Amino acid sequence: MKTAPINLVAGPSGSGKTSWIYTHFHSQQSPQALGAYLALGAQIPVDASYLATESPTLEVLDEAQRESIAAVVEMRLAEGAAIYVEIGFHIDPLALVLPFDPGLCHRVAVLPSSSEDLDLKNWADDVVPAAEVYRDFSATQIWRSPLTGQILDPASLDTFWHELTQGAYGAVHRAKGIFDLVDGRAFYFNYVAGLPNTQYVELKVPRWLKGRPERFSGLEVVGEGFDQASIASTLGDCGLEDDAIAYYQAQIKESLGEQAA
Amino acid sequence: MKIAVMSCIHGNYEALNAVLSDIDAQKADKIFCLGDLVGYGPYPNQVVEMIRSLDIPTCQGCWDEDIVEGLNSCECSYPSVLAEKRGRVAHEWTNQEIHPETRSFLATLPMVVQEDNLCFVHGSPHSQHEYLLPDIHAFTALERVLSTGADVMFCGHTHVPYVRALSEGTFQVRISQPNADPDQTGRFEAPLKRLINAGSVGEPRHGRTDATYVLYDSETQDVALREVPYDYQKTCQAIIEKGLPPIFAWRLAQGMEYAERAEDPTHVCER
Repeated sequence: MKTAPINLVAGPSGSGKTSWIYTHFHSQQSPQALGAYLALGAQIPVDASYLATESPTLEVLDEAQRESIAAVVEMRLAEGAAIYVEIGFHIDPLALVLPFDPGLCHRVAVLPSSSEDLDLKNWADDVVPAAEVYRDFSATQIWRSPLTGQILDPASLDTFWHELTQGAYGAVHRAKGIFDLVDGRAFYFNYVAGLPNTQYVELKVPRWLKGRPERFSGLEVVGEGFDQASIASTLGDCGLEDDAIAYYQAQIKESLGEQAA
Repeated sequence: MKIAVMSCIHGNYEALNAVLSDIDAQKADKIFCLGDLVGYGPYPNQVVEMIRSLDIPTCQGCWDEDIVEGLNSCECSYPSVLAEKRGRVAHEWTNQEIHPETRSFLATLPMVVQEDNLCFVHGSPHSQHEYLLPDIHAFTALERVLSTGADVMFCGHTHVPYVRALSEGTFQVRISQPNADPDQTGRFEAPLKRLINAGSVGEPRHGRTDATYVLYDSETQDVALREVPYDYQKTCQAIIEKGLPPIFAWRLAQGMEYAERAEDPTHVCER
């Protein structure tokens, strides 16, 4: 596979774009290798937060700062960093205008082998095979919910996630989220319809045991005809009240032998 | 004598009817019920009416108790905050739905029903809220059965049907008192006992939608766990039409309970 400093990564929802970026970045020779990551059309930074915690030398760029991105990318390129731009599945990469030198861009399409998306195949310099995932997005519905500050009860989250991914609230093709749990840990959940299991990753972040977390957590759901209000309501019912948070955090601190700060 | 034992109907009238038909087909001489006639399901009054009209000896379940005395279980009754919130919604709905005579009947139900060497309880002889799960410690299980004086104890509450034989054993008990010495020691022999869980009619936990109950032959001591299909979609439809949370219908159709079970088998609710 040809390498270039700016990797544009496109593909259907759940095909494995973020996973490809993670693997590609970590396959570089030096563990100190620098990188920068930009997610286009993400709106809430689920993937960005996951990558940032798993790859401390990967800088996350903010799409909202679009005017300054070209300058930042230029600086990072000068430092020898690899740049990754993940293009949301709902954005047409062929119509995308980016403020980068096209000669520096390497286009990667992460596609199931059965895909007949000739436009994307022709756009790509390289096509990376992906698992078979749902690809008919003619009636796609996307729902995103920031949850920053919410602490969820693990048993409740387990029930909610099972219901969500098994169709209790409508057809869900893709769900991913970052959740803060009462024991201070944060987890990345990644579900793709058609793949056997949800991927659960404990994020490499310090335990948060001082009230409500001031770090990102949130959920993104892709599917069709699902009941957003019921999802939001059930998710709300999984959250803990302030007094319960204080009680459990005190217990966890005690069990960890820590002193309250 | 062949007896049928059923438990945890939870307002599921369709399931109850199917089980009663099966019991009839099996030619059982007598039926016992281990409580939880109401809660979660859409037909609490109809279920109670049916049990009353057939004059089925019934002990009080935890949901029956909560409807009579008010919901004041400690958090052990729910394994998650989501289950607790859903349980409260179900309790409030049931509390509004049931007729005064239904509530009065539930108040008359005893905690323990005994017949000859058989004993019938909802959770355990100590509490309607206690879970005697299939893998409960043998000592705990034996203590619960011995406390009733029966040879066979039927329980429900966990929604998991099982038969557990408790082998003969010797118990040694030492009592220490602050102002008395030496310690007093006693020994006694415990004969073979059996613990039989009847599963659940209205919301079984075996991953399928079928209702469960048990048949017991008091002469041969044979136990048969029965699994009975019923039109669960009618119950699901009624759940939605009557204004209960639609998630209850979805879960029931998936072969899951309306909410969830508690995990700690030895914890007794300390209200």
